[in-house]
Amino acid sequence: MPVPSTSTEDTPFYAERPEWSDVTPVAQYEDSNPIAPIFYSQEYKDATDYFRGIVKSGEKSQRVLQLTEDIIRLNPAHYSAWQYRYETLIALNAPLDVELKLMDELAVLYLKTYQVWHHRRLLLMLTRKPAPELKFIAKSLEVDVKNYHTWSYRQWLLAFFNDEELWAGELDFVESMLVQDVRNNSAWHHRFFVVFQSGLREGETDRGRVIRRELTFVKQNISFAANNLSAWNYLRGILDANKILYSRVEDFVSLYAEASIDATRDIVDLENPPPPRGAELPCPAAIEFLADIHEKEGRVLQATELWRSLADEHDTIRKKYWEYRIREGLKSVRQ
Amino acid sequence: MTSPTPSPTQLAIPLHVSYIKSLGENKDDLTYHLTAHLRMNAIYWGLTALLIMGHGEALDREETIEFVMSCWDDEAGAFGAHPDHDAHLLSTLSAIQILIMHDALDRMDMPRVVKFILSLHQISGVFAGDAFGEIDTRFLYCAVNALSLLGQLHLLDGEPKERTVNYIIRCRNFDGGFGSVVGAESHAAQVFVCVAALAILDRLDVVDVETLGWWLCERQLPNGGLNGRPEKLEDVCYSFWVLSAMAILDKIPWIDADKLSAFILSAQDLEAGGIADRPGDQPDVFHTNFGVAGLSLLGYPGLVDLDPVYCMPAEMIKARGLRKPWKALERRNA
Repeated sequence: MPVPSTSTEDTPFYAERPEWSDVTPVAQYEDSNPIAPIFYSQEYKDATDYFRGIVKSGEKSQRVLQLTEDIIRLNPAHYSAWQYRYETLIALNAPLDVELKLMDELAVLYLKTYQVWHHRRLLLMLTRKPAPELKFIAKSLEVDVKNYHTWSYRQWLLAFFNDEELWAGELDFVESMLVQDVRNNSAWHHRFFVVFQSGLREGETDRGRVIRRELTFVKQNISFAANNLSAWNYLRGILDANKILYSRVEDFVSLYAEASIDATRDIVDLENPPPPRGAELPCPAAIEFLADIHEKEGRVLQATELWRSLADEHDTIRKKYWEYRIREGLKSVRQ
Repeated sequence: MTSPTPSPTQLAIPLHVSYIKSLGENKDDLTYHLTAHLRMNAIYWGLTALLIMGHGEALDREETIEFVMSCWDDEAGAFGAHPDHDAHLLSTLSAIQILIMHDALDRMDMPRVVKFILSLHQISGVFAGDAFGEIDTRFLYCAVNALSLLGQLHLLDGEPKERTVNYIIRCRNFDGGFGSVVGAESHAAQVFVCVAALAILDRLDVVDVETLGWWLCERQLPNGGLNGRPEKLEDVCYSFWVLSAMAILDKIPWIDADKLSAFILSAQDLEAGGIADRPGDQPDVFHTNFGVAGLSLLGYPGLVDLDPVYCMPAEMIKARGLRKPWKALERRNA
């Protein structure tokens, strides 16, 4: 929906404003064409007619900033307006922190529009003040916790400026997002990006310690919400990225592949936190994981039993995939 | 006599054809002008859906071509989404696809368009979408797709092609999937563009087929629909993004085809026509196209074969010598 601009109902069209009378508005391509008939609200038509007018004359002035803002509020995906606005800001040597404040407002309203984030990137490359952005991004995410553009912008910011201080708070940030929603795949991905895909930073150089920390972290989160695909994928990611045998987590995984929790267990095993009370067990992701462990350890027949249980009972939508695994598994036994 | 009430377990082709036809006619639709930046894409989606349903004649050929040409940005030497919009790769690809589907590619200034596409190639290997500089693997796919449709893919041979493939490799995540830029989360639409681009470039060796095939297969939810990433909602458009990637990797047999077909069909608007993102929502031409495309790949009877790499009728792609190895389900008899 278009955002009400700062104008009120009494705001005149650009065509009616004397201070714009020096601009020749340029109407849209008017040839009637039923394939794509042109329809505009009067307000949008008026603003874009004047936009085409100033583009034609090449004007880069303060009033152009007002005009492009009006257009963006009516149609945030109008990429030409964004582009021209940026060029105008540069030409005017306009105060970019003021522009960023305006963008703060628009970003929250138009989260799913790429241009909002791209414009922000361009501004940051000029202001070179990334620290306040982290707080801003966190605030945007409050409204839409899995917004792809927002998370991607955060990753860009961290990698582009590559400042120790920027990276320092990320693990806590991800943890706070996961406390809000442990099933947030974007947050899990971001953690992987921070820990394993952005080089070695001070304090992270003891990889053994980092791996142990991450294994503990993901296992704890699985013990809060067992049927969480993102967390199980993260566990695999840690093992794959660091070439660790899957069998290292066999005891943990087995707990979740059982049909029920062993009620007699009352020892708190930090290495193997059990499923929460009331969890839906067995957990299909755990069965799959355990089958992979069996397969990698050469225990193919045990793996096929688990794949059978997935095909027939615990993950029937992927029956064809599990039957493929069984066939491939049995083939390898026969060889 | 009135025609029979459409059934929710069948594709209501005549209804969807008239829905697409009517899209340009609704002058009272306020959202129409707000989607001007998608107009070229919308016509491509509409035309492709019509061709797959066997009704390419439903939109007037000359009028369509005229509209495409009215979007020519003479400064940039390419196509914008709408008359007077700046040229962009997304709209340029759609324009090329529409002209090919209407056998009118000769209307276009080929050298200028090729120059525009190549000018967007970044040092990192990705392509920008336009002069504004947004980068995304979607644009990499648009560029590679467009060049190959124009028979100009050889212009990337050597170092430029290496650079392009290397960018895709850097976008490969731990789960086997691909994101929009280096470091970004795996997302089904980005997986499609990367896998399809690799198919066109004959570099599918970059893909960890078993891992990615599994990740794609994991997108299917108990209701039969597909989502775009873990723990998110199903959406009809993923019937194309996920399914076409699986077709290229020859893993469609891993999907529960019956349940997915039923899901797509349940998202039809059986009164006004069109397909929505999920049952009960408002239809739009984007989801109509990708729902029909998904059904075609699943072998739904009576539909025309779709090439998943290009998302265009398979015969047209084959005729241009661009058919890559992919496998859809056998078309069933009605």
